Amino acid sequence: MIPIIKPDAEAKLSEFTGAEAYIHSEATSYVFVRNFKVRVTEAFVAGEGPYRVALRFDGHGWLRMEAITHYEMDEHGRLLLAGYDDSGRMNVALHLGKEPFPE
Amino acid sequence: MKINDRKAQRKLLAVFAHPDDETFICGGALAKYAAEGVDITLVSATRGEMGRRMGNPPYLNRESMGAARESELREACLRLGIRQLHFLDIRDKTVEFINEEKLTERIAGFIRELEPDVVLTFHEKLGGHPDHNAIGKATTAAFRRTGSKGALYFISFGATMARPERFGYSRKDVVRVDVSAYLQAKLAAFRAHRCQTEIDEWVWLPDREALSRFGKHEYFLLGGGKPSSGDSLF
Repeated sequence: MIPIIKPDAEAKLSEFTGAEAYIHSEATSYVFVRNFKVRVTEAFVAGEGPYRVALRFDGHGWLRMEAITHYEMDEHGRLLLAGYDDSGRMNVALHLGKEPFPE
Repeated sequence: MKINDRKAQRKLLAVFAHPDDETFICGGALAKYAAEGVDITLVSATRGEMGRRMGNPPYLNRESMGAARESELREACLRLGIRQLHFLDIRDKTVEFINEEKLTERIAGFIRELEPDVVLTFHEKLGGHPDHNAIGKATTAAFRRTGSKGALYFISFGATMARPERFGYSRKDVVRVDVSAYLQAKLAAFRAHRCQTEIDEWVWLPDREALSRFGKHEYFLLGGGKPSSGDSLF
């Protein structure tokens, strides 16, 4: 995982628009969702860091997360975005994949 | 020699929820009994893949965490002397939602196969985490179902069970194991769980300072089977 480079993160997110994607999303210990399948129509990155990321999906849906700091496109072509605090604890995660994530 | 032979046959089965439970909670006792020749099998319900600590600075993400923590647990097992390690492949944070009957039967399978003298797990209400309570409940049910001739103990955090009255138990329900000679192994296992302990500066202080943070005893609550001597699980 590397610190977000905003134009590159936007470009990588845009690779998931116009198609179905599997989503893993979580915020601290309170909630996680794994393998929501949505059709991503638009994707946004906002802020100067930490960043806000939002997905528009299925013509009527939103997924918005904040406190995103790091990302990587992993060896399986999945885009992993996450927000870490100063001690390496993960606050938020947003992963997009073309295939389901391991259950 | 005969004593050694008999000791070599003693078996302990530990059924916990996450990688590091074995080290953080009762690593001293596991190291002690392993050093005395007890054959120890650890079953971990999950790979701890939903943990928040990703290393400090972070070197993991949610997708890489399970494999990393499995690898760290394998090293911790080496440090403690745990010979067998099994995973139930349940996703972290979902143990309480797994079919309880099937989970109980899987654990009963381990008990029937191993015939352990001692089974360790979490207390089903005092476990401190939903996964802990759930695996404790299933293991307790499995212990009873199998009619095991061994003893069942619940692990406990720090010295909380030095005063068991607060939890509705008495001193005779508690075994206090002196682990003071095995703290070096416990510390090595803490350090093996690198992504979980990097955030705790004391773990990485020079050995003498780090070791001073450990208590000399670990406490176990009798959950079933024959009561022991008060200072040993066997």
